[in-house]
Amino acid sequence: MVAVLAALMPLADVVSTLVQAAAGPLFVEFPFERTYVLSIIYVSLYVSLSAVALSTLFSVPVALVVGFTDFPGKRLVKAAINTGMGFPSVVVGLVVLFAVSNQGPLGELNLVFTKEAMIMSQFVLATPPITGIALASVTGVQADVRDAAFALGGTRLDVALTVVKEARYGIATAVLAGFGRAISEVGSVLIVGGNIAGSDGVSKTRTLTTAVQLEARQGRYETALVLGAVLLVLVLAVNAVVVRLGDGGQMR
Amino acid sequence: MTLRADGVTRAYGDEVVFRDVDLRVPQGEVVAIIGPSGVGKSTLLRLLGLFTPPDEGSVAVDGTDAWSLPTDDRLALRRRVGVVFQEASLFDASVARNVEYGLRVRRSWRERVHDELRALVGTTELPDTARDALDVVGLADYVDKPADSLSGGEAQRVAFARALAYDPDFLLLDEPTSDLDPRNTAVIEDAMTAAAERDIGVVVATHDMNQAQRVADRVAVLLDDSVIESGPADRVFENPRDERARKFIDGELVY
Repeated sequence: MVAVLAALMPLADVVSTLVQAAAGPLFVEFPFERTYVLSIIYVSLYVSLSAVALSTLFSVPVALVVGFTDFPGKRLVKAAINTGMGFPSVVVGLVVLFAVSNQGPLGELNLVFTKEAMIMSQFVLATPPITGIALASVTGVQADVRDAAFALGGTRLDVALTVVKEARYGIATAVLAGFGRAISEVGSVLIVGGNIAGSDGVSKTRTLTTAVQLEARQGRYETALVLGAVLLVLVLAVNAVVVRLGDGGQMR
Repeated sequence: MTLRADGVTRAYGDEVVFRDVDLRVPQGEVVAIIGPSGVGKSTLLRLLGLFTPPDEGSVAVDGTDAWSLPTDDRLALRRRVGVVFQEASLFDASVARNVEYGLRVRRSWRERVHDELRALVGTTELPDTARDALDVVGLADYVDKPADSLSGGEAQRVAFARALAYDPDFLLLDEPTSDLDPRNTAVIEDAMTAAAERDIGVVVATHDMNQAQRVADRVAVLLDDSVIESGPADRVFENPRDERARKFIDGELVY
């Protein structure tokens, strides 16, 4: 057994030299850099996309209800949405941390320093801008278009779906704004996620933003720059996809 | 089969729009509601279209009082009535998607999801009734055009086709040609007559006396919060019994 391993050692050396030559200097300096960066991208996307998806499912119906029905406290709800848009993320992080801590109401679930806790805090942060912008765009749909949907035999649900369809560009903008807030946010994910990466170089709760902050502080500017560039490219790519989706109805 | 309003009264707050109005719309006839702007013609159409309940009286389709029914059953009655407004109010989609809207909402959710998926792949066929309806307004070639590329007159013709596409028993038109040029007006008026020939009961609210004379079989004059005169169009126009109706028809009574 030992003899076999000894015989393989030179071979392993050759392979590793070849890999390093091919992969370039970044991956030579830190053997686990590739895994490291990929796992950070994964955590960032997983957390932000989940938070924004959940928030959209929550926000659009809320915008429809607030936009088209009357109920006591409606002005208060609108005021809360507007205030929420400027809510400081560190405070949200702190509140979510208290909620999921052992003494908190969600303590049983053991969510401290997990992606799920990060999704919760990004949900709270993304919901006000998504609801607010979606509200503005659904109330911008003319009353006569809603009447037409109803007059043609639509149920209340059909009318609501038609309004969402008519407001699709505005809603796409809302989702983008929410995603922008979620993915570029540092404070709350740092507090509830803890910026954790394992000793094997795989991110557990480290996102692009918290990683850039950490790398910059440690003086590893090159890695920080790469991560920052990746963050920019991601935001641009998601923008492009959402704009293209919002355009779908127009192209037909 | 008839659509009828019996003794309907409608008020906004303390302000009574009209009171104790009777109107009977048989299938296959064009009924014109004439009266000056702001007299409540639109409000009356909204009652007939089952948008809102009357404060008093009843609106019945084929003898069934619509507002005595639960919402789901009323939906079935509502779906036998088509409405065209003064504004075309088209959806921001293609002409085809607009015209088939009424048919789409009548399908089951399962079929609708299926249709949406097929539309994504790009293989949809416009149902025959929708194609017919576009034919009636002379826009059969416009199927693939986006609604926002149409002129005002074309848009209103599509709106007419959209209400005709699901083959309603009654068609309510609220000042459908007041923003249109003579040519598009003529198309819409011909379409009204064509609809009546298909045994649809057509109600048109208009302040245009000439239009009422051209298209209507029966006329109701709505003035000063009630219907002061109604009957066959020839009789009402030639020999109105009510003095105010006569003055209004002759253009002596200006509002």
